[in-house]
Amino acid sequence: MSAPTIEKGIQSIKAQIDAPIGSFFSACVHCGLCAEACLFYTETEDPRYTPINKVEPMRRIWEQEYTLVGKLKKLLGLSKPVDEKTFSDWETLVYDGCSLCGRCSLVCPVGNDISGMIRKVREGFAAAGHAPEGLIGATQRAVEIGSPMGVKLPAVKAQIGHLKEDTGLDAPLDVQGAEYMVLLSSMEIMNFPEYMEAIARIMKQAGKTWTISSKAFEATNSGIQIGVSDLAKVLVERVVDAAEELGVKTVISPECGHAFTAIRWEGANLIGRPYKFEVKHILEVLDDFTQQGLIKTEGMEEAKLTYHDPCQIARKGGVVQQPRNLLNMIATNFVEMEDPGVMNWCCSGGGGVSANERADELKLTAFKRKKSQLDALGVDTLVTACANCRLTLEEGLEEYEMDMPVVGLTEMLAEHLVTDKEEPSQ
Amino acid sequence: MKEITTDKEFSEALNNLSLEQQRIVGALFVDNVLKLSDDPRVAKALEAAKNSEISEDELNLARRNIKAASLEAHTRCGAEGEWLDQAGYFVARAAEACIETQVRSQGKGPAWKAATSARMARTCLASESGEDAHGAERHDQYKILTDYLNS
Repeated sequence: MSAPTIEKGIQSIKAQIDAPIGSFFSACVHCGLCAEACLFYTETEDPRYTPINKVEPMRRIWEQEYTLVGKLKKLLGLSKPVDEKTFSDWETLVYDGCSLCGRCSLVCPVGNDISGMIRKVREGFAAAGHAPEGLIGATQRAVEIGSPMGVKLPAVKAQIGHLKEDTGLDAPLDVQGAEYMVLLSSMEIMNFPEYMEAIARIMKQAGKTWTISSKAFEATNSGIQIGVSDLAKVLVERVVDAAEELGVKTVISPECGHAFTAIRWEGANLIGRPYKFEVKHILEVLDDFTQQGLIKTEGMEEAKLTYHDPCQIARKGGVVQQPRNLLNMIATNFVEMEDPGVMNWCCSGGGGVSANERADELKLTAFKRKKSQLDALGVDTLVTACANCRLTLEEGLEEYEMDMPVVGLTEMLAEHLVTDKEEPSQ
Repeated sequence: MKEITTDKEFSEALNNLSLEQQRIVGALFVDNVLKLSDDPRVAKALEAAKNSEISEDELNLARRNIKAASLEAHTRCGAEGEWLDQAGYFVARAAEACIETQVRSQGKGPAWKAATSARMARTCLASESGEDAHGAERHDQYKILTDYLNS
């Protein structure tokens, strides 16, 4: 990235304005429904967090550059400028006060993809040097080291060694022609090592060949979060090159929300060509395996539990029924939250919010929406399928003194696999 | 009791312990990696795990404190990870396992959970230095359990 300037920021936003964006601004009827759909607005009641307001800098540029009225207003000095102050004022709205959850886009009566616009506005803010430090650092590490959290291959190898020694299970590296290439998020490598063990158990029982690429084990894509498409493209290409070099049939995106968006939905467009392999979320793969009778479970969870749909996986990713199929196989008392599936409420930490220390207080305020959903249900256990959601939920539960475990669904399913009698039984 | 030499024997022996005994043994496993954490709340949690006379209120306070310690110690999404600090996170998680409620433990024994997290704390060191202390930790745990069962 060259040195950021306000001019570059404005040019970058201008470059993002295409026909759909123009029509979105023309079509907005100022109904305010997007505000009621946004947990940063509903929990703060601060109108600045109204989603459509978050793209106001882009609207001003669109109006001044591409509409007759706007051009006249600009000529007469009647327009509000987009300058350093604008970027400063909107930076926290664009990054801290939006988890790119997409709920606003879903409720918009005229079909405006507001969340997509905010993602595009971030391109301009990053180019202007108005992105949070945490996201800048994560993006630099992702490009230079391969992981936003600085996880290097020796750490992955250490975990594979740990897995082999403790369970006798293998997580094979760089297997040419394997059916599946498994991606991991840094969060899983650092905080939730149970995930790799769960995958190893599931693949063993399913009788599938799988591998982790030593060149591209990392699934997360901070280029998507910060809003720098060039960097997002570099990170996607790394995965695509590794998968095509190994000749795998399917790449599995892990329990990480935005990783799925990056590799499944934005990746092919970023690199400008279709992949030579399929991309599936781990929950899709698990559901396929159960439908095909490749994995069998035993025992049922008896605790009253509910499922938090990660926004990028459910609303934006379409993986809604699969987790429910899986939970109904292993839980007797699974209950739905209000607004489940595509209408779920975000955990409050998505879209880079949890990587942005400055946003902590706002994030915990926005978490009150999830708290009220959980209070209404009175559940004992919360299940989800995104490592970032998982930690955000744990932090929120801790803040509001709610005592309940938060469990990854893949890990929970692996616990219920019919056991191999030679393995330690815990 | 003969010497424990495999994880299968290890887990079977742990399964035969009462909850109170599992908490004590779990705390002994965490003692073995305690120097990897500088959070005083970890030691307090271990005291609670070893104290069979502890009141429910005191136990709940220790649970809240160690849960907070564990959450504070994790590496946040997107932050630069330091493996030495991360070892402290797994030590806190191991201590948390020793005293967590059965609802939270999801049926897993506290000693087993403490053992696996303590091993992960050692694995973190391997991630930083390339030195593999994980196997040594496992064997330390076999010895700790054998000694406990023979005591």
